[in-house]
Amino acid sequence: MDWTLLLGIGRFILATTLLLLLTIPTAFVVIQMELKIIALMQLRIGPNRVGPGGMFQSTIHGFKVLAKEDTVPDQADRATFTMAPWMVYMAAAMSMLVIPFAPGLVAFDSKISVVYFFAVLGLSVVGLLVAGWASYNKYSLLGGLRSAAQMVSYEIPLTLSVVGVVVLTGSLSFTEIIAWQLHHGWAFLPQILILPVFFIAATAEINRAPFDMVEADSELVAGPFTEYSGMRFGFFFFAEYVALFIMSTILVTLFFGGWLAPWPFPAQLGGFIGTIYGLFWFFLKAYIFVFVAVWMRATLPRLRVDQLMGMAWKVLLPLALVNLFVTAIVVVVGKL
Amino acid sequence: MTAVDPEVRIPDPLDTERDDEARLRAAAGLDLPRAAGRAEYAGFETVGLPDRPPQTERERQLFTLDEGEMLVNMGPQHPSTHGVMRLLVKVRGEVITDIDPVLGYLHRGIEKLCENATYTTVLTYVDPMDYLSAMHNEHAPAIAFEKLYGIEVPRRAEYIRALVVELNRVFSHGLMMGFLALDMGGLTPILYGFINRDEVVDLLSAISGQRMLFNFFRVGGVNWDVNDEFLSRLGKWRSHVLDNIAMNERLLTENEIFRARTRGMGILDGRRAVQLGVTGPNLRASGVPFDVRRAHPYSIYPELEFEVITQQTGDVYARYLQRIAEIKQSIRLIDQIVDRMPHGPVQAQVPGIIRPRPGRAYAAIESPRGLYSVYAISDGSATPYRFRMRDPSFISLQALPTLMPGHLIADTMAIMASFDPVMGGVDK
Amino acid sequence: MRLLLDRFPEIVSDLWTDEDTVEVQVPRDRVVDTLRTLRDDGDFGFFLLADAAAVDYGPRNWFEVVYHLYSDRHPGWLRIRVRVDRQDPRTPTVTDLWEGAMFHEREMYDMMGIVFEGNRDLRRIYMSPDYKSFPQRKDFLLPDDAADSAAAGVNPLERPETWQLDRFQQSAAPAVAIPAAESQSVEAGKTMASETRPR
Repeated sequence: MDWTLLLGIGRFILATTLLLLLTIPTAFVVIQMELKIIALMQLRIGPNRVGPGGMFQSTIHGFKVLAKEDTVPDQADRATFTMAPWMVYMAAAMSMLVIPFAPGLVAFDSKISVVYFFAVLGLSVVGLLVAGWASYNKYSLLGGLRSAAQMVSYEIPLTLSVVGVVVLTGSLSFTEIIAWQLHHGWAFLPQILILPVFFIAATAEINRAPFDMVEADSELVAGPFTEYSGMRFGFFFFAEYVALFIMSTILVTLFFGGWLAPWPFPAQLGGFIGTIYGLFWFFLKAYIFVFVAVWMRATLPRLRVDQLMGMAWKVLLPLALVNLFVTAIVVVVGKL
Repeated sequence: MTAVDPEVRIPDPLDTERDDEARLRAAAGLDLPRAAGRAEYAGFETVGLPDRPPQTERERQLFTLDEGEMLVNMGPQHPSTHGVMRLLVKVRGEVITDIDPVLGYLHRGIEKLCENATYTTVLTYVDPMDYLSAMHNEHAPAIAFEKLYGIEVPRRAEYIRALVVELNRVFSHGLMMGFLALDMGGLTPILYGFINRDEVVDLLSAISGQRMLFNFFRVGGVNWDVNDEFLSRLGKWRSHVLDNIAMNERLLTENEIFRARTRGMGILDGRRAVQLGVTGPNLRASGVPFDVRRAHPYSIYPELEFEVITQQTGDVYARYLQRIAEIKQSIRLIDQIVDRMPHGPVQAQVPGIIRPRPGRAYAAIESPRGLYSVYAISDGSATPYRFRMRDPSFISLQALPTLMPGHLIADTMAIMASFDPVMGGVDK
Repeated sequence: MRLLLDRFPEIVSDLWTDEDTVEVQVPRDRVVDTLRTLRDDGDFGFFLLADAAAVDYGPRNWFEVVYHLYSDRHPGWLRIRVRVDRQDPRTPTVTDLWEGAMFHEREMYDMMGIVFEGNRDLRRIYMSPDYKSFPQRKDFLLPDDAADSAAAGVNPLERPETWQLDRFQQSAAPAVAIPAAESQSVEAGKTMASETRPR
């Protein structure tokens, strides 16, 4: 009996279960943040009835969608209609597998975790497109097609801007990228030009305001989600906020040192204390960027769909390419 | 693909048998049993076509779909149609090729109700028409009835009228800024707009007793006088209203996304706007300096100083800037009114049931959405024989079919919000 | 006003003014010519169609279409009244002059049943397309609940049980838009409004 294999399988199952369980409170926290922060920015009070200071408002929302009736339109394609929320949600949840939360705390430490991450995250576009098509609704269809166009376009500048970091660090593994940043300082300093590109593309990739063309509530009602109700809609909703959190974590991992503290991390501080210390910094930094995304949503109006596409192809893509070439040249020259 | 057979006879409009559905469906070849259940997709091209032959040439044109076009119903249940309005949009991909506003979801027959109400109660019926400018709604009938009855309104009443009307204009225009942003996905300006509105509405409810449908005007005056407490609250409001507006403006006016989405969008040139009957800020944003307050002065406006501001470009951005400029002019007017307000009674002596001599009267005022006019005919009884209201947002909606084609679905909402229609007024 | 008299000598008899309105009556077949002259002629310059409304003079058996025009060269509003026969309510359209008259005319058609000849889009605008009656005509009665309002008893038109059925029928045979069945139902003592409610 190969105990290592069994141990590995057990560890994997444990990790995936924990991560799946993590998505739910994460979504609740992010939604709650959004409710409260936007309320503050709009000079409102915001939710303040459920729990102390309205803390459990989003939790109650989550349980509410569980209790709602799950309707399927008469002419909808029932199989794909039912499947679409799972695809979107699983794409978000699965991509969490490779994120290193703290030293040693990563579910699936692959050599090519960057590739894995962007490949899996890109799956959600399939879910949105299927949802739009299966709903038998014109708004859903338009929203689904918009999501396909938008996410496919934005994946290119997004991935290209990551390639800069990959070239710089010489690794496709998130843990090794963090290890490089431990020795060489955080990567956002050498990659400062690409940081806005990555941030914009990431916001667009997860359909957040001001790039929420897909939902666009004032134009397309709710885009692909128009016909969804109950927990099926809940999954879309959760996936959106989980994706927001994941994008923040990736931004932190790639550019801001992951679980590294802003000052030299006591690398020898191993064990349980080190894990907690890493987790603290990781979540702090991630939620800072969640906050920035919420801030953007409260401030900016939405772009138009053609302006959005134009920005991806005419602005972000050239910038990402230029950055990639400059980084590559610098790296090669540095090695000479 | 031609969805409707062009050979279908367009029925005579007065043919009262025309809704004999079976006959018409047979004539259109539509009496075949429909494909039942969810056996197959019908394809989106034909979904939404009415199951009756077109009644007019225009309707036939609208319901005739070319290859790759489809009809999208925006509304009446849609997040941003400013009430229950339905836009029938013909799109090719996301580009709009034709658009037709379908009205009547909020039609209450106010004109008919008013013809069955006494002159005093008419003023309560007109309130919920254009519910964002209820004061203006009452102003025009009051003027018309006073013309019919031949009474002079006391000076102080005229000043109070002008004061409340301008206050109403301030919050109405302020809300338009918010709605425009909301329809483009900006969440915050509408709430700032509502803060501004609530302050004004608190003032107006202090003077009239109601928050939304003020019921403040009377034939021959106004219901209540202003007192010192009201004026001091007004002064307090006056001291920070411009800051409120500026706070909203900072979010939008120089915002790059907002400008990219509004400039050069939905351009309406002045000549065309006059043709289409567009009035008010929308017309002035197209460069035509037509303001009823100046063009055909009523009330005390000849005595007050204000500028008729115009913009040149006539796009959504110009209509937005026009609103901001008019808010500032309104505040200037409010300052003058408060300075010059005379003393005296606020209500002329009017009997309980007003029975004017037979006659006709036309009164037009400048509401936040344009020329709002009332045409009242008296037959000597206690109720108006005919009571006709021209609501500016109703007429302005006609501009949509000429402005929309060629734009994207996302722009329909921006263009429509820039005209600032209020469905309560559109549907009367 | 003097100008009007010079240019349109045939309307002299119908001219009427009040404090800020000049009112003329124009025959139905001349209305488009008159309005075009008023709009395009430099002396008049009535460029804006401020309002277009229809009035039902039921007992006198005609409709009136009323146009209000605005000019920046003249101080008052100009009101053009066009008389339309109640039996055959047809009048030429002015949508060729002002496109903005389209909604006005659709509303007049919807509410009064006046047909504007040449209008490309004469549909119902408020009521549903299969609606039969024309609600703002004077022989269209409100439902009974309005009789409880403050104005009850003021206008006998409001309450069908007090309405004298011969009031219109002596002057007009059932008007065009009232199908025979509905007229009979009125005689049977029902309210018309309950019969003509859109389905």
